[in-house]
Amino acid sequence: MKNAAVASLLVIFAIPLLIAVAELPPFGDPDAPIHTHISARYIEQGVEEAGAENLVTGVLLNYRGFDTFGEVTVIFTALAAALAVLLTSGGVQYFQEDRPPAPPKGADESERPPTPVSPVVLFVVRLLAPFIGIFAAFVILHGHVTPGGGFQGGAILGAMFIVLTIVLGAGKVRPRLPEPLARWLQGAAPLSFVLIGALGVAFTGFYLGFPPEHSLHLVRELMMVVLEIGIGVGGAAIFARIFLAMEAD
Amino acid sequence: MSMAFDIFLLLFLIGTALAVAHSKDLLAAAILFSSYSLVLCLLWQHRGAPDVAMTEAAVGAGITTVLFLVTIGRTKRREK
Amino acid sequence: MISYEGIINAIVVVLVGFGAFFFLVGTIGLVRLPDFYSRTHAATKCDTLGAGSILLALAVFNGLEPSSVKMIALAALVLLSSPTSGHALARAAHRTGLDYWRLDKE
Repeated sequence: MKNAAVASLLVIFAIPLLIAVAELPPFGDPDAPIHTHISARYIEQGVEEAGAENLVTGVLLNYRGFDTFGEVTVIFTALAAALAVLLTSGGVQYFQEDRPPAPPKGADESERPPTPVSPVVLFVVRLLAPFIGIFAAFVILHGHVTPGGGFQGGAILGAMFIVLTIVLGAGKVRPRLPEPLARWLQGAAPLSFVLIGALGVAFTGFYLGFPPEHSLHLVRELMMVVLEIGIGVGGAAIFARIFLAMEAD
Repeated sequence: MSMAFDIFLLLFLIGTALAVAHSKDLLAAAILFSSYSLVLCLLWQHRGAPDVAMTEAAVGAGITTVLFLVTIGRTKRREK
Repeated sequence: MISYEGIINAIVVVLVGFGAFFFLVGTIGLVRLPDFYSRTHAATKCDTLGAGSILLALAVFNGLEPSSVKMIALAALVLLSSPTSGHALARAAHRTGLDYWRLDKE
């Protein structure tokens, strides 16, 4: 009886939704409003209106800034939840019983010191890490002109931290990212959105509203750069912390 | 020519995706998934979406693979 | 009559051919060689010489332009990172006690 009621309720809700979907223009139809009005507007006036040479960034942070705000909040909440699970279990436990027993190779096997890091790898990573960092900063800061942006640059910066952790060991990298600082940094993305959103309220009266005046081109660009830096730093911090939480000393 | 390249990449993509799904060795699956991401990255770039291609290369082929490998190192390599 | 473009094209063809040869040989080696160490060796050759010389060929083909500098920087990066990763792989395998292939083991 109850199941039947739920099923009929679902059907009643589904019918108007299905009718609405049927009313939508067919996928890929060149006469659909999205192709005749929205895309055309973005392509023709996007660079001028959004203040970003890179149209993708313009749409992502300016036209669809509110959607990106929601997306960033969801992603970073999920990452923070994953990190919380990792941290409360006291780091990841080893499943020792599942590992195959080490092949017996003589009595001195157990007394062998841990493998030192290869000097070649150490040298190359030390040589390349600053360049990776510079590239990440370029991708983040130049995201409104060339392909790239906060998400990509943040992943590259996080990858730099991961490489350094693998080669130098977690003990050397962990002090560089102290707990209280990292806690704020991993919230940098939503916080930067809140900051820029408040600025938008001051400028236009709308949350995340970018000032439309032609003379304020630089302000729009700066607001976008702040958002990109927030996303990039937050992403890098949270990737690095997740990896550090999984890595034993 | 361009179309042929796309079709080749798409076929490779399907092949790697099936291989990931069928592999019982989780380490091999992680590496295959990394190559899947690289091929998808090439495809995005070729279809004119460099932003997405960069995300795919950095997140898909880089960070995700590393996290998978660490997780496999901490747990078990074989699927039951 | 040898033109400037002809010389450039000849250099590009030679470099791409060199790179393609090493990619082919490296891939065959990756499939056919008997143990982990020799396979790593083949794969590393493939990356270093193959990708490096093809990137150099692209730089030569582009001529004196900003993009050529990027190609050369990429070639330098490949030249640094590929042997390093090969070295790290072989070292890790050796440290964990992976045995190598010998003729009398067959």
